[in-house]
Amino acid sequence: MEEFFQQLTNGLAVGCIYALIALGYTMVYGVLKLINFAHGDLFTLGAYLGLTLLTSLGLSGRLGPLLGLLLLAVLVMGFVALTGALLERAAYRPLRQSPRLSAVVSALGASIFLQNTIMLIYGARIHVYPQDILPKVALEIGGVSIPLVRILVFVVSLLLMGALFLFIQRTRLGTAIRAAAIDQAAARLMGINVDQVILIVFLIGPGLGGVAGLLVGLYYGQVNFTMGWVYGLKAFTAAILGGIGNIPGAMVGGLILGVIEALGAAYISVAWKDAIAFLVLIVILIVRPTGILGERVADKV
Amino acid sequence: MKKAFVLGLTLVLAMAGAGLCLAAEPIKIGLMAPVTGSWASEGEDMKNIVNLLAEEVNAQGGLLGQKVAVVLEDDAGDPRTASLAAQRLATQGVKAVIGTYGSSVTEASQSIYDESSILQVANGSTAIRLTEKGLKYFFRTCPRDDEQGRVAAQTIRQMGFKKVAILHDNTSYAKGLADEGNALLKKDGVKIVFFDALTPGERDFTAILTKMKAAKPDAVFFTGYFPELGLILRQKKEMNWPVPFIGGDATNNPDLVKIAGKVAAEGYYFLSPPVPQDLPFEKTKAFLKAYTAKHGAAPGSIWAVLAGDGFLTVVEAIKATQSTDPEKLAAFLHSGQQKISGLTGEISFNAKGDRVGEVYRVYRVDADGNFVLQDK
Repeated sequence: MEEFFQQLTNGLAVGCIYALIALGYTMVYGVLKLINFAHGDLFTLGAYLGLTLLTSLGLSGRLGPLLGLLLLAVLVMGFVALTGALLERAAYRPLRQSPRLSAVVSALGASIFLQNTIMLIYGARIHVYPQDILPKVALEIGGVSIPLVRILVFVVSLLLMGALFLFIQRTRLGTAIRAAAIDQAAARLMGINVDQVILIVFLIGPGLGGVAGLLVGLYYGQVNFTMGWVYGLKAFTAAILGGIGNIPGAMVGGLILGVIEALGAAYISVAWKDAIAFLVLIVILIVRPTGILGERVADKV
Repeated sequence: MKKAFVLGLTLVLAMAGAGLCLAAEPIKIGLMAPVTGSWASEGEDMKNIVNLLAEEVNAQGGLLGQKVAVVLEDDAGDPRTASLAAQRLATQGVKAVIGTYGSSVTEASQSIYDESSILQVANGSTAIRLTEKGLKYFFRTCPRDDEQGRVAAQTIRQMGFKKVAILHDNTSYAKGLADEGNALLKKDGVKIVFFDALTPGERDFTAILTKMKAAKPDAVFFTGYFPELGLILRQKKEMNWPVPFIGGDATNNPDLVKIAGKVAAEGYYFLSPPVPQDLPFEKTKAFLKAYTAKHGAAPGSIWAVLAGDGFLTVVEAIKATQSTDPEKLAAFLHSGQQKISGLTGEISFNAKGDRVGEVYRVYRVDADGNFVLQDK
């Protein structure tokens, strides 16, 4: 039983990261019906920017670990959000009226461009985060050990997801985003500035992805320029699992995917854990084609 | 009469001169190395080592009264380029060829040398099948992939572990090593309590570690590569699980310590051919000193040093048989009792052309993250 709970926390930690990244996919899809393939690379950018800022500014040394990391997270979020907005302006807005396939190709191009830019700036070798930022302590609850970094990942992800949920549900801007997601033309007729809504979506999604990159860097300590691919793929899967376009769905999908992976590895086979996760995805999509929380029929892919 | 004597003398001198001219024609030994392409650093070291050894041989009077000339051809680490390089070397009248590094690259050139009856001594090609084809003129100074599995099983047994977990990553190299170790350990009565594969490129291995921990092994044998291992060691440390890890030569990379951190990496054991600086022989130390004086740095890996051993093998075989006839050279090397003194120790070959003797050593990571050679 101890092992079960340990595996559950293992899965939830991975799932939180998937969920944070999945939010970026699902928000963009919700409003633009576009899969932003460059999202995984924005996540990588967050991990690298975090490393640069951490080593060059020495924030955690000057302000203490907690305040320093908070400031770092805000900085990374800001930079990556800005990159996301620039990306939207340069790669997606000119293609707003074009067939959807053009935008998808543009997204793939942006992904390759970002990945190679990161490689050219930082080099192809593996980079390592400094190891002494957070104290290496673990919480022991009934034989289940949870390291402090993992608790940080949990708390930060849940706080960010909660804040996003409230923002979408309770504020005027959030309402505007939901309206634009349902029907862009109608939203425009209601006086909603759809271009502004899209810009905000491209600030929030990549911002969250960037923070996820920072968390991965802090948690695992190792970053390389291709890391966005694996995480991007898993997060995209999580978004579909939860129902793409649906924000709570992305959160639920991410957590479920992480837990399925961990339990599949634990009780069936480690080598087959991805196959198990995707099998579950297929079964869920057969039973519920719109994903776990998806409501609208996915008529456009 | 006098005229006839002078004429005779001139004739004799002319003949002697012609003879001298023949003697001045050098013995050509080919070197096929990746001096461009992604393995260029290996190729560069191979070239420098073989050239320096050839200079030493020539300084000592050469071979069979003749000088030795090294003919270099670039294989670019690419099988197609290698087959062209092999054809060029074959037409230049080389007596033997040293090289090359990659197994697939060597494989592309094997039959060309075999058909031209040219001795080939590969230095970095560890794929098992290369010597399983029954080629008469093919030898290698590096160990085979299954040798590593054998040494791994032996080391684990000697360390006294009774219950072992094996983790690989499903690449052909890592899976082969894991299967080999699995079979040998089982035969020795060691219990394999866990055998599974991780997914390369991932970051979170806590699920695997938790599962492995529940199987309660005495030690873990990891056959994959260093980026994943670095993360595993780190996450193992965070779990406070003190089980010892033993790995294969794909983890022999300084970046391992960077990723895992010194604390988590300390105590990790791995098998690898010795790094050049750790070779214990006086002869090798003197050679590496001369090499460093000339090129500013020691050779980076053992594989290039093994090219030097290939060259010494050919030189000793020519000396011993007093001939450059490939039949005689191959027969001499196959006889199994040459005991050639090489840079990496004594060199002998078995009937297949594989090197006999142990090349693998056990290394341990110390508290400062250095790889320390362990006594046998």
